[in-house]
Amino acid sequence: MPTVDELKQTAVAAIDQRKDEIVEIAKTVLANPETGFTEQKTARLVQEKFKSLGIPFRSNLAITGVKGVVEGGAGTGPSVSVIGELDSLRVLEHPYHDETTGAAHACGHHAQIGNMLGAMIGIMVPDVLKALSGRIIPFAVPAEEFIEVERRMLLRDEGKIEFMGGKQELIQMGEFGDIDMAMMCHTSSDRVPLTVGGTSNAHIVKYVEFIGRGSHAGGSPHLGINALNAAVFALSAVNANRETFRDQDVVRVHGIITHGGEAVSAVPANVTLEWRVRSGNLQALEMNSAKVDRSFKAGAMAVGAKVRITNIPGYMPLRNDPIMQDVFKYNAIDLLGKAGLRVRNSGNNGGGSTDMGDLSQIIPVIHPYCGGATGTGHGKDYLVQDYNVSVVNPAKAMAMTVIDLLANGAEKAKEIVDKTESPMTKDKYVNSQRNRAEVIEFDGAKA
Amino acid sequence: MLTIEELRAKVCEAIDQRAEQIIGIATHILKNPESGFREEGTARFVQQQMDALGLPHRDSLAITGVRGRLDGAVPGPSVAVIGELDSMVVPAHPYADSVSGAAHACGHHCQIAMMLGVASGLIHSGAAEALTGRVDFFAVPAEELIEVEYRKDLRSQGKLEFIGGKSELVRLGEFDDVNMAMMTHTAIADGKGKFKMPGTSNGLVVKHIQYLGHGAHAGGSPHKGVNALNAAMLGLQAVHSLRETFRGDDTIRVHPIITRGGDAVSAVPSDVRMETFVRGKTIEAVRKWDGRVDQALRAGAMAVGAGVRITTIPGYLPLENNRELSTLFRDRAIDLVGKGDIAAGEHLTGSTDMGDLSHIMPVIHPYTMGATGVGHGADYIIEDYTLAVINPAKVMAMTVIDLLANGAEKAKLIIDNSNPSMTRSAYLGTMREFAREEEFRYE
Repeated sequence: MPTVDELKQTAVAAIDQRKDEIVEIAKTVLANPETGFTEQKTARLVQEKFKSLGIPFRSNLAITGVKGVVEGGAGTGPSVSVIGELDSLRVLEHPYHDETTGAAHACGHHAQIGNMLGAMIGIMVPDVLKALSGRIIPFAVPAEEFIEVERRMLLRDEGKIEFMGGKQELIQMGEFGDIDMAMMCHTSSDRVPLTVGGTSNAHIVKYVEFIGRGSHAGGSPHLGINALNAAVFALSAVNANRETFRDQDVVRVHGIITHGGEAVSAVPANVTLEWRVRSGNLQALEMNSAKVDRSFKAGAMAVGAKVRITNIPGYMPLRNDPIMQDVFKYNAIDLLGKAGLRVRNSGNNGGGSTDMGDLSQIIPVIHPYCGGATGTGHGKDYLVQDYNVSVVNPAKAMAMTVIDLLANGAEKAKEIVDKTESPMTKDKYVNSQRNRAEVIEFDGAKA
Repeated sequence: MLTIEELRAKVCEAIDQRAEQIIGIATHILKNPESGFREEGTARFVQQQMDALGLPHRDSLAITGVRGRLDGAVPGPSVAVIGELDSMVVPAHPYADSVSGAAHACGHHCQIAMMLGVASGLIHSGAAEALTGRVDFFAVPAEELIEVEYRKDLRSQGKLEFIGGKSELVRLGEFDDVNMAMMTHTAIADGKGKFKMPGTSNGLVVKHIQYLGHGAHAGGSPHKGVNALNAAMLGLQAVHSLRETFRGDDTIRVHPIITRGGDAVSAVPSDVRMETFVRGKTIEAVRKWDGRVDQALRAGAMAVGAGVRITTIPGYLPLENNRELSTLFRDRAIDLVGKGDIAAGEHLTGSTDMGDLSHIMPVIHPYTMGATGVGHGADYIIEDYTLAVINPAKVMAMTVIDLLANGAEKAKLIIDNSNPSMTRSAYLGTMREFAREEEFRYE
């Protein structure tokens, strides 16, 4: 019977051997970017790779998700998911953007698909797999980037999704009900190859419609109600509230105008915004979200327009499980030495948000970062430069972590299941998210 | 008995003979500027001048107003010749009072001089004895609607109800026994003649706005504050957002100032105050935008969770000039300067409380040149006192003769033909409808 170290060496050797193939997967995804809930090509690629690795799977989960299931050969035990995110961002100036859709991998998710499949190459080595107890669930999930809200609202209205983030929706569907813990590695432009720890912001998503009255902007502006002026005012109002945001709440309020008027010669009758409020905890989020709603209403009031604010449940703060994180950490040091790892304390909030945060409310997760990229996340210059760092290293570290968790009768995974108390059950999570959904209608002429 | 033409010639001659002295009145007031409802020195000076002319007068009307009375030979209609006592506040003006900042940047000093010039002419020429009826020489306070907070205080102390001089005098009944009124305002000589015929002007309401925030250490705990200055900035911005919906025909003007912008730079401002007018060409337009501006101001408070207290004070009504009086004035102006030097009247977007008077009696409010610069600016200076004071004194004196000579035939005709849009009580009702105080807080 091989030792755990021998199992890891076997897995790592297998990954090294097929390194080029793993990197090629990431580059193929990079060249075929698809935004959330449209990741058909990317999902097909994952399905092909699962087939070639002999991993049984189910497809079209939350539209495009692909979920594999691999039984360990050493009996039952907890199930551990290795996650990769299918979707890209939209960045029209990005060198690898899709000409038609503007989609581009400006957040490095293509590397995740590579490192998730890379980890599975290590785990699927028969000698390794037969030493593991429990299940390994490689999961390619849709729509981590919370964008294209209007299109996702349509999907919601058509009954195709309820929640607009991939993992949120998969939780709601019960697709994480058979998973005890999960991990994924996200790229970053950090020079240190691997980083663990830290947290992320909760957020709420707002689809905001200002409804004015159109009229000839030259001939009869006095008959119009300018929805664009209402929106511009509202944004100034939002900005005026910034001084009341507490630093420790890491508040971020930002958005885009998705429809800014119909014709330059007409007083804009309809203006729509996609907006986002982020904060480090749900209480602060609720308070700041109310300030932003109030600002939008004030915009309507300023010019006598109407506003409809559709509040859409966003993500929850990330909690990295300390025991699982320690396992990952030791493996990262084994692989890269101490200099290869950065440890952030658990309160270090990066400011962004992820639906791994949602998952972390109901099961233990880790969400480490792997370097290898340069440029600014979500910017046109965000490029993965070193695929060894962003794909191969994390594939090895995750494979080694899975081995630690599920070898020896899944002793470590069981310890995590026993010791970790998640803040929410699935039902509590789903209810809490449903409670955040609301539509506010406000007539500024009547207030 | 002298003919009207002879009376006019004599009154002009009398004024010419005393031109230097009349201009001296203007330059004395120029150097002693006082803003509205504070014109104690100017009023005393007017009283002395009236005493010197032997005109009986009543004083301290609406705080500083002085009303002199010149009776004709027999009783009849009364015509008021008005001069405004007050100055603007323009600290950068070359003749500004170094303490108060008051300055005659609107030429009212010339009005007092020309009004006394009319009195002097009518008395010294002997023309007064040929008149039927009465001429009221009315030095009125506070035409400039400024220093709103001060006047708001006078109002809450019960010293005033309306914050414009003529409006308050109407309320006090001081115009009840006046049949018609005239005054001539200085204007900028823009190469278009020596007189400008009366036109219309905007009405307005006055607003005192107080944003109520919550103070906090601006560095240490801004999250505990509610920033009243941000509320005010947004309130202004909301008002600006409305501008594109102002109809050109309504000549809307909204132009706020901030009178208190916070108390210490290190504290989140908790009390920020503004003043603004809402002006428009018609009472209806003023009413419409009066309400919408409030709505915009409330949005500023709402935006940051502050409160706002808006005190709306009746201002002035739009000016309408009496056509027959205008024609008389025009004819006499032609006699003096020739047809080519008389510019046509137009709608002016400023406001005057002569507008208020114009709703209850026939009035004219023509303009005389002689100034340079920009009205209410630091460069508004009277360059030519003959144009600014002597000419209008003569034309108004001749117009008074036209009205009240021959048994006041013309004055009576104008009274008969005139159809004022309001009675005094209807006027007071209209004004009081504008007055209100509200506090808004969006919960």
